[in-house]
Amino acid sequence: MENVILKVSDLKTYFFTRGGIVKAVDGVDFELRHGECLCLVGESGCGKTVTALSILRLFDSPPGEIVGGQISRDGLDLAKCSLRQLRQIRGNDIAIVFQEAQSALNPVLTIGDQIIEQIRIHMPVDYTRARDRAATLLKEMGIPSAERVLSYYPHQLSGGMKQRVLIAMGLSCDPQILIADEPTTAVDVTIKAQILDIFHELKVSRQLSTIFITHDLAVVAEIGDRAVIMYGGKDVETAQVSEIISNPKHPYTSGLIECLPDVSKSTDRLTSIPGTTPNPIEMPKGCAFHPRCPKAMKICKQQEPPEIITSKEHKVSCHLYT
Amino acid sequence: MIRGLQDIIRKVRPHLRLNTRLINYYWQRTKRNKLAVAGLSFLIFLVALAIIGPFFTLDPTEVNFEEKNIPPVGFGIEQSVYNIETDEFTTKEIHGTWRHPLGTDSKGRDMLAMIVSGARISLLVGLIATGIAIILGTIIGVLSAYLGGWADNALMRFTDVMMTFPFFLLLVLIVFIFGSNLAFIVLAIGLTGWTGTARLLRSESLSLRTREFITAAKAMGASDNRVIFRHLIPNVISLIIVIATLSIPGVILAEAALSFIGLGDPTVPSWGIILEAGQHSLNTAWWVAVEPGIMLFLTVLAFNFLGDGLRDAFDPKSNI
Repeated sequence: MENVILKVSDLKTYFFTRGGIVKAVDGVDFELRHGECLCLVGESGCGKTVTALSILRLFDSPPGEIVGGQISRDGLDLAKCSLRQLRQIRGNDIAIVFQEAQSALNPVLTIGDQIIEQIRIHMPVDYTRARDRAATLLKEMGIPSAERVLSYYPHQLSGGMKQRVLIAMGLSCDPQILIADEPTTAVDVTIKAQILDIFHELKVSRQLSTIFITHDLAVVAEIGDRAVIMYGGKDVETAQVSEIISNPKHPYTSGLIECLPDVSKSTDRLTSIPGTTPNPIEMPKGCAFHPRCPKAMKICKQQEPPEIITSKEHKVSCHLYT
Repeated sequence: MIRGLQDIIRKVRPHLRLNTRLINYYWQRTKRNKLAVAGLSFLIFLVALAIIGPFFTLDPTEVNFEEKNIPPVGFGIEQSVYNIETDEFTTKEIHGTWRHPLGTDSKGRDMLAMIVSGARISLLVGLIATGIAIILGTIIGVLSAYLGGWADNALMRFTDVMMTFPFFLLLVLIVFIFGSNLAFIVLAIGLTGWTGTARLLRSESLSLRTREFITAAKAMGASDNRVIFRHLIPNVISLIIVIATLSIPGVILAEAALSFIGLGDPTVPSWGIILEAGQHSLNTAWWVAVEPGIMLFLTVLAFNFLGDGLRDAFDPKSNI
């Protein structure tokens, strides 16, 4: 498709630790289209964050390493290009917004210093110009008295403000792609709503393509266009968000949806998927989900499921559909 | 030309700008430690003395055998004087005069002038050698933590080797090879004294390195250089200040010790050199050794008190 602006194919990021090889990401495929919001969804430890970090190669290396696959952006393979080329892209073409605003801002530099620094790394502007731009960005994010906030240190701001500063920083060089790593996890519900509004606004006003990482299907339903469901370092199902919610194919996806509490029914217990995420050093043989899967068959224990395209926009990796 | 200058100033300004609010906060915390304030006051006095003192004192190199071994004001000693005409020794009582408040040494040089110019040299030795050691230690420690892997291993094993090396022996060796030149002594102290700093800063940076804002800095396209100098080191500045304050007295003492065993630079009258000269005439003129000794003692104490106070003030976990 021609409006694909980022294509990740068969990405494998392993961590070579003393305890063994952690296959955090083990063959992930997805594509990001222009102007869409793609959600990476899954439980903790399913490889969402490592996938996001792999795109800009931001994981610790050693022990982490991309052992296979491609990340194509404008004909450049980000998995293999030089660090120098990658630095040109980081923050400039592809920006990332981290989960915890508290720790993602340097405590000893002012907000202004940090935004201005990023602008001046990538743009040939002088200090005053960069400062003006930083102030404008903060205003756009709905921060009152932006000029003053520029001279504040991170600890002087509230959690929601910090998260907005981070988004402003991410946008400071007009990136084409924004990766948001659970930006709504560390804030309360009102701030969460405001931040989702900001992302929605950005999609409309800037035609920004976003990779939104979350474990919260409610958030996905609200802002996502398409979603990639991940489990055990692999993408198990990819489809339009509406399709995922109304017609989930993979047992894991249906499990996730069933876990959402339904306010119209009163129940004593909330449903959950039995078991826990597998140990990434010793993944179960065959389909990684089979020990927890209610519909597991004999073949699931022996063979990895193939990828099945059920409709034009819907693919799933499960033996049920072979 | 002027525009270029303006641009440079703009570039440098955000790096130099002092955070007055934070400095004030730390000053409030340091102020509660009376010993630290006393130490700081003494050091300010000493630095002022070292800078402007030499303009007011007599020439410390002026030799005058007529006025040798005069005791400090308020003290008197009996001195035997050889009289050529009668060819006999007579004892006479000498009292300290205000012309030489701290007395004179065996060559009639003014002790006050020597102490003041010695302060200049001893402080300079302490500052320069510590500066070299701190810069080296910071770079090696932070780099080691940041790079990790084999680079970390190589740098830290090198540090271990440097640590086990008997550094005083090295100093003696350097003096033996290059002669007792103060510049070499300072350089040698600086080049061997960075190991502790490197280790402390490595351990501090190791925990900082995994913090998310370092990843965030990389994510905005910052080079390794920028991450280290702009994001890592500013976070360990308080530790560096404490280490520096606590290691200056060690350096001053090392230089004094070297001078005391006769390996100092005899052309530059540091406190150690004066002390060494004084020990030979302890019988006739005790003050020549005692005065620089007291100064060394007070200076070292002041630095240690200040360093301890700063450490407590910078430590967010201590509630003083």
